Amino acid sequence: MELEDIFEGLNEVFRDVFDDEDITVNASTTSEDIEDWDSLEHINLIVAVEKKFGMKFSMGEVTTMKNVGEMAEIIKSRI
Amino acid sequence: MILTSSIYLTFLVILLFLYYIFPKKMQWLLLLLFSFIFIAFSTSDVKAYLYILYTVLVSYVGSNIIGDAKNEKQKKRIQSITVILLFIQLVFLKYLNFVGSSSINFINLFGVNLSWTNLSIIAPIGVTFYTLIAIGYVIDVGRGVSKPQLNILKHALYVLYFPQLTSGPFTRYMDMEKTLYSKHKFEFKNVCFGFQRIIWGFFKKLVISERMAIMVNTVFDNYSEFPGIYIVIATIAFAIQLYTDFSGCMDIVIGSSETLGVTLPENFDTPYFSKSISEYWRRWHITLGTWFKDYFFYPILKSNIFQNLQSKLKKVFGKKWGKKLTTYCGMFILWFTVGLWHGGATKYIIGSGLLHWFYIVSGEVLEPVFNKIVKILHINKENFLFKFWQIVRTFILVCIGDLFFRSTSTADAINMIKSLGVNNYTEIFKGALLNLGLDFKDLAIAISGILLLLTISLLKQKYKIREEIKEKNIGYRYAIWISLIVFVLIFGYYGTGYDAASFIYQNF
Repeated sequence: MELEDIFEGLNEVFRDVFDDEDITVNASTTSEDIEDWDSLEHINLIVAVEKKFGMKFSMGEVTTMKNVGEMAEIIKSRI
Repeated sequence: MILTSSIYLTFLVILLFLYYIFPKKMQWLLLLLFSFIFIAFSTSDVKAYLYILYTVLVSYVGSNIIGDAKNEKQKKRIQSITVILLFIQLVFLKYLNFVGSSSINFINLFGVNLSWTNLSIIAPIGVTFYTLIAIGYVIDVGRGVSKPQLNILKHALYVLYFPQLTSGPFTRYMDMEKTLYSKHKFEFKNVCFGFQRIIWGFFKKLVISERMAIMVNTVFDNYSEFPGIYIVIATIAFAIQLYTDFSGCMDIVIGSSETLGVTLPENFDTPYFSKSISEYWRRWHITLGTWFKDYFFYPILKSNIFQNLQSKLKKVFGKKWGKKLTTYCGMFILWFTVGLWHGGATKYIIGSGLLHWFYIVSGEVLEPVFNKIVKILHINKENFLFKFWQIVRTFILVCIGDLFFRSTSTADAINMIKSLGVNNYTEIFKGALLNLGLDFKDLAIAISGILLLLTISLLKQKYKIREEIKEKNIGYRYAIWISLIVFVLIFGYYGTGYDAASFIYQNF
């Protein structure tokens, strides 16, 4: 899967989890950019992304990912 | 070794002198040696050395076996064993009496009549801090985030690095390894800024915190004689004492490390300016929050048990509430544990734990109601007065938790809250503040100190204070810092036969 398709899929997940159709993520998007993306929602987001792409993040990745770009790279390497 | 003592300052100056003339390759070894000296000055019980050695050895051996593990399963198993071994010691040293007495009380509920005699165990200073740092490191190695440190002495330095040893901040090995073992050239700015930060810490602790402690102790130790307004004054004074004590300690810790060229993470970001309890916990004891989030809260939420629970709750309550309710369950366990970490007593579990869980959850659940009220009353949320109200409201909620935290027991805290009903509130205009152990002079110094702290905290929202002062001319610069030193020397509260008071968080 190309990165472009991954971002397309991520947009769907983000819009669904944060209940906001206007969200569009890119490589540099962080939790600072999305109002509801706090520590309480982080795991819900991670699990939703895992379901969407049929892969798993390790706990180390969950706690050290810096932005959506890193998330997309991990997804690309797993599928 | 108390951080506000002259012994500590002498210790730091000698270390700095040797540190910058020592061969740069060996600087870390000097830090380890001085960390041992620091421990020796802080510990009178020989057994404490064995406890410390145990933590260093178990985390070193465990992390290195994890590094050599053949597969993920083996890695996870060794990680779990190592964490349990570290955790068992912590429970033994800090929570044995709590666990023992609670279990006996529980058994007695079934008609048995057993009793528990509290055991006297002297825990090494800062054990809850360095144990969690060691546990975090082992988990990071297990997760593949950090590589295990092969050199046992370098490993010992990470766990026992003296500035962070007694009260944190909680660091991550992946951040610390970049600076802790590297070569450090003497840089005037680091040493200068570091000492400026230390002086600011001394100011908070000696000018404000120690004076607040007098008022707080007067009321909390005899609360039946001080109802109503006095409970309010003492609780606010304690909130100020706790902040100036702990953040002052962090200023000394982070400043000391800055003089050595080793950057430690910040632990406070003017928390009493928070507009909600969630925000407060992002600005108060920041590294504790991060530690619990990374190593406790996320693994719980991502566990199969919680994912299954969420699926079931979604079926019953719908998608939105299924998600929310699962998170609240996870948060309950989190806040219970955070409370317990502060001490093995129900007053901590309530005051620093479950009460805050209740605040956050009820705040979220009632949000639509609050929003409706705001709409009906045509309140502009961006209005300064509304924001100010949010800050005051958050501070009051924090103060209620602090009242539990400081009181002798949960029952005492409840009695104190009940006595708020005594109508003596007009006494504030009749010199109530002067009935709490401080004379007019000390009270005036304390209030001036608090106002100065408030001003600097407000300025900090916009400016980097030390950078700003650095840009001023030499006379102006020195005038500011010398005034602060003189202020601390003259107006620091040293008490009779001064023996520097210890920091509240060092006892955890």
